[in-house]
Amino acid sequence: MSTRSISTMWTLMRRELWESPGAFKWAPITILGLTLFFIVFGLILGSRFDNEMAFTLDAIRQFADVPTDQKRLFVTGALFAVSGLFFQILLLVLLFYLSSCLYDERKDRSILFWKSLPVSDTMTVASKVLTACLLAPAIYLVIVVITQLIVLLIATVYGFMAGINPFTAFWLPASLPKLWSVMALGLLIQGLWLLPVYAWLVFCSSWAPRVPILVAVAVPAVISLLQHAWSLLSSFSMPELNVGLIILKRLGSGILPSNIGWRVESSGNNIDLADVEFSEELFMSFSNSLEYLARPEMWVGIGIALALLAGSIWFRRRATDT
Amino acid sequence: MSLTIHARDLKRYYGSNRAVDGIDLEIPSGRIVGLIGPNGAGKTTALKAILGLTGFDGQLEVLGRKPDKDRDELMEDVCFIADVAVLPRWARVWQVIEMTERLHPRFSRERCMHYLKNTKVKQNTKVKALSKGMVVQLHLALVMAIDAKLLVLDEPTLGLDILFRKRFYSNLLNEYFDEERTILITTHQVEEVEHILTDLLFIKDGKLVLNATMDAVHERYREVMVKPDHVEEARAMNPIHERVLFGRHIFLFDGGDIARLKEIGELHRPSVADLFVALMGEEYENGESTEEAA
Repeated sequence: MSTRSISTMWTLMRRELWESPGAFKWAPITILGLTLFFIVFGLILGSRFDNEMAFTLDAIRQFADVPTDQKRLFVTGALFAVSGLFFQILLLVLLFYLSSCLYDERKDRSILFWKSLPVSDTMTVASKVLTACLLAPAIYLVIVVITQLIVLLIATVYGFMAGINPFTAFWLPASLPKLWSVMALGLLIQGLWLLPVYAWLVFCSSWAPRVPILVAVAVPAVISLLQHAWSLLSSFSMPELNVGLIILKRLGSGILPSNIGWRVESSGNNIDLADVEFSEELFMSFSNSLEYLARPEMWVGIGIALALLAGSIWFRRRATDT
Repeated sequence: MSLTIHARDLKRYYGSNRAVDGIDLEIPSGRIVGLIGPNGAGKTTALKAILGLTGFDGQLEVLGRKPDKDRDELMEDVCFIADVAVLPRWARVWQVIEMTERLHPRFSRERCMHYLKNTKVKQNTKVKALSKGMVVQLHLALVMAIDAKLLVLDEPTLGLDILFRKRFYSNLLNEYFDEERTILITTHQVEEVEHILTDLLFIKDGKLVLNATMDAVHERYREVMVKPDHVEEARAMNPIHERVLFGRHIFLFDGGDIARLKEIGELHRPSVADLFVALMGEEYENGESTEEAA
């Protein structure tokens, strides 16, 4: 890619942020505010029942004495839990963003302005996908990092009050560089894993005459209902492969926030949690995410995604205001 | 001589509707071309084909490029304003300017600011909060700040007041236009553009009815305000149009003997509007008369 295409791409991606500040700026900042509010609220509420915070400070002192690996499990687990809501909302925001990304410009006719600029349709479609797969996760990650730092700072204040060394009790077990790289890698691979879903939404927004998100949901829903009906009528059994379930399963087995190392088979009846060995490896592991790259479904999905994106470019090229 | 627009048998059908039905066109650089036609005549479709916004059959090259395949490259040298304000409504004015600056290699921020200086358009306002006139001012400032070879204006001044329209066309002529550039305009307000046009195209039912330079048009068509006692004589000379104004009969002739025409009345240059009525209006008049007969 030449310097000019890179600068064009960056401008197009910034444009997406300008167009949807609610999704990419105010939503994560609101979650940050809510998270901190509930933490502070909880602490204040706790201090009302805990005379002179004796119980709290005692618990902190005890925590400072537990073995290092348990400290790591607890601190990284807590910080991961803090990030959970952010990444769930991110996924929701992206589904809505992508389903309207090529539709809004047709609806308000601004497509005529965008098409008057020397920017190819491929670049335009790519900028939407890259915003969903790279830029938006990066913004959410930065705000997650800020939230985690604030949470650790609050813990540090409590640590000082309890007279322990907050560095060895909280900051060191948090293993922040690893935590953040695991999350970053998880987000990157999640972008690839969900690419067929993202591409389907972009594809629907490139041609749907109205309410593209309904079209995007209705088409697979109708197909899977027909599949069910057909297979019940013809062989009196449930279909083996069902479009709707495949999509739902893929969304459900996304990497973040649920990148936890145990696998639960959806068909399994006996889930024995006692078998799960709790350690930070459950979530603090690169291989949990990298393992997705080895799955054939990953690459089948990417193939489907590329085909759908090619279709979106085809529709974008022909789209005008009417 | 390089042609800005070169079309050969340009066609665009929507089902059985022949929006553009075999247009041949050669527009060199340094012209201001008026594309005039009634509603639904195919003006906008023809412009869309030229701008790469719609597919077409036949041959079409704009600045040596195929518009349907290389729209993005073509847009480095072509600017257009559609008949409605199409700037993104969510954006602020400074964002629109910055995006255009970063996405268009030939855009000059200084020139844009120069055109905006005398308007009430504020940098931090959202486009949706601007009045219709201000949106058009902003869009024109953006477009005139781009060093393009072809400027396409589809009803650029629709819904704007007369002061603004006059200033717009004088800006266009004095500050923007030069022999390197070509401007293609469609408008219903023919009177306002006829003094700046160098070429005239009339389009009707997807076909070009007239394709000539303004000089050739003035050479060819003559309007005669005929003295009352010569009316029958004038009718015998095959006028293409006749109308009555304040009891005077005004005839439009395609060609004809100048000396003879001078004898029967006063000779004028026909206005584009009158020419338009004469060349395009017959169908409507016939329609009216058949209705009356029925």
